[in-house]
Amino acid sequence: MVFLQVLLNGLLLGGIYACIGAGFSLVWGVVNIINILHGSFIVLGGYGAWYAYTHWGVHPFVALLPLGVLGYAGGWLLQQYVIRHVMAAKVLVTLTLTFGLNLLLNNLMTFGFSADFRKVVLPSQEPISWAALTLPTDRTLSMVAAVAVVVLTHTLMTRTMLGRSIVAVRMDPQAAQLMGVDVPRTFAATFGLGTSLALIAGAILSPIFPISPVVADGYLAKAFIVCVLGGLGSLPGVLAGGVLLGVVESVGSYFLGSSHALTLSYVLLLAFLLLRPQGLMGKKGFE
Amino acid sequence: MFKRSNRLHALGGAMPRAGAFGRRGLLLTTAMLGLGLAQMVRGQTQTIRIGAPLPMTGALSPEGLRLKQGNDLWAETVNKAGGIKVGGSRTKVEMVYVDYQSNTPKAVQLIDKLITQDKVDFIFSPFGSGATKASSSVTEKNGVPNIAATASSVEVFDQGHKYIFGLLTPNNTLIEPTSELASARLPAHARVAVLARNDLFPTAVANELEKAVKKRGYEIVYNEKYAIGALDHAGALVQIKAAKPDWIFVSGYTNDLILVRKQMKDAGLNAPVVTMITGPSYREFVESLGPLAENVSSAVWWHPASKYVGTDIFGSTAKYVETFKARFGTEPDYANAVASLSGVVLQAAIEKAGSVDRTAVRDQLAKLKMETFFGPVAFDEKGMVNSYLPPVFQIQGGKTAVLYPPAIATGKLR
Repeated sequence: MVFLQVLLNGLLLGGIYACIGAGFSLVWGVVNIINILHGSFIVLGGYGAWYAYTHWGVHPFVALLPLGVLGYAGGWLLQQYVIRHVMAAKVLVTLTLTFGLNLLLNNLMTFGFSADFRKVVLPSQEPISWAALTLPTDRTLSMVAAVAVVVLTHTLMTRTMLGRSIVAVRMDPQAAQLMGVDVPRTFAATFGLGTSLALIAGAILSPIFPISPVVADGYLAKAFIVCVLGGLGSLPGVLAGGVLLGVVESVGSYFLGSSHALTLSYVLLLAFLLLRPQGLMGKKGFE
Repeated sequence: MFKRSNRLHALGGAMPRAGAFGRRGLLLTTAMLGLGLAQMVRGQTQTIRIGAPLPMTGALSPEGLRLKQGNDLWAETVNKAGGIKVGGSRTKVEMVYVDYQSNTPKAVQLIDKLITQDKVDFIFSPFGSGATKASSSVTEKNGVPNIAATASSVEVFDQGHKYIFGLLTPNNTLIEPTSELASARLPAHARVAVLARNDLFPTAVANELEKAVKKRGYEIVYNEKYAIGALDHAGALVQIKAAKPDWIFVSGYTNDLILVRKQMKDAGLNAPVVTMITGPSYREFVESLGPLAENVSSAVWWHPASKYVGTDIFGSTAKYVETFKARFGTEPDYANAVASLSGVVLQAAIEKAGSVDRTAVRDQLAKLKMETFFGPVAFDEKGMVNSYLPPVFQIQGGKTAVLYPPAIATGKLR
């Protein structure tokens, strides 16, 4: 029974990790930018949700809608006016640019909100108990919301014109351009979508994790691992990678002790990079 | 623009007459320049410059901001009163802050620079035992008094250094009274679970707890460390729950402790005594957890609920809290207070020495005995403070109830 509980915890954690990794994977897979800003965007979303909840009483799951729209607009503008100029440059240049922007955003958040930890404290919810298993209410709700967001984004990618053009650009930008797809605009839209997903993730996580600019790097590291495990740019891959990471960490920390959970996730990362660089669901040759 | 062109014009106008003035004009100008320079030099020695390398950015930035607030409050209060009394006159103080980006080697480099290039008179240590220990060899080499606000590990002070003075009592002074109070609510053979962040201070207090627990004949049923940056504690908590502890002890940073307490609730885990160090002393622990913070006990070196009266510039704990609130809009925590205490202690030593001579100030620090808003301050022969009892407290009804020492207690352990 204890093992079942550990597995259940891992699945819940996995859904949350998928949520953290979705936007990052999309941007890396399509626009080919390792967006160091991602962790800070998640924290920014957390602050948005926290502010809406403490000042206006808006539930984070409602606040995520306007935050998603704002994120899209902000990301679109950032790509169109800043990042676009270094798109053709080597990966180190884009990396340095997002690294610098991340320092700026992170320190602005420290300046604006201070580095104190905040948290959305929802009215106390009793965990759901079933037999000897307990299911934490807010983690479960956040996991459901996270999976819903990823599935919805996947539908968007397969069913809409914008989604199809993103997929096309991801596969082959030149061919897509020849077919009449506006590649620069698609890049901007993808970056917008990635930012939007990060802000939404921040809102979804706000009842679970303490919010502070200093946790941004932790999110970025998780996003990176999820991305490598699942395969770049693939949303089903993000879900698979997140769940794999969550379960491995949870089971690992049960058997090997908490201090080794993080080590285990990095071992997993290394193993995938060596043995299956395209990830669980990525295409070969696309890593 | 106007000013500039006027000045240019004036200069231009003076040019043809320069020859007429000849050597006298030149002499006059040189003399005036010399006077100005002398004034500048005197201006520099007229303030007491204190170098403070702080982690303003990076992982330790929350602590860096707290220390800066504490230092600023002291410096502003002193300067408002005219400055520090040195001999017969008053001298203003100037804080020289540098950001070491939460990176210890950088802190050491910057202290060297502060002493040799920026010519500061004294140093306030960087954050935590590790960085303080590293910094103390630089200040020792240069003979600069170094006030360590946040180093509580004995290892920092047993290097035989003469210029380092620590304001926190050793870690075991937090754990012993906590264990003593807890024992009143625990069965004779209590089962204890310990979960510690794999980091210098959290591991050190967990080790102290092990000693205290064994001394009382309790059984440690769970003892694990969690990684820095862990986002999930469910696995550890499942195991702790299975071990059925009477006392759960968790050490870590505020965000870790918030997360652990939240996940304890999720896992349906509780115990007669829950102790967390040092998160509950920060207001955001209570704000972020709401009812879940109830009955969590903790210990820390200072708490605003203390009631000390001192001979320092703040006068008493109550007045310090009031001044801090008026300046920053929030209640001070121990990190704020100990940073202010750094200044208080240095000020007392300078005033007693009657000069800013580093050796004289160092000697006064070594024999200092004073009452402050923080509690009584005196140092042992290693330079570590040994004069006050850190308070043990518990969150009761959303507020902090001080349980120990008896002189300032406002409640009993629940």
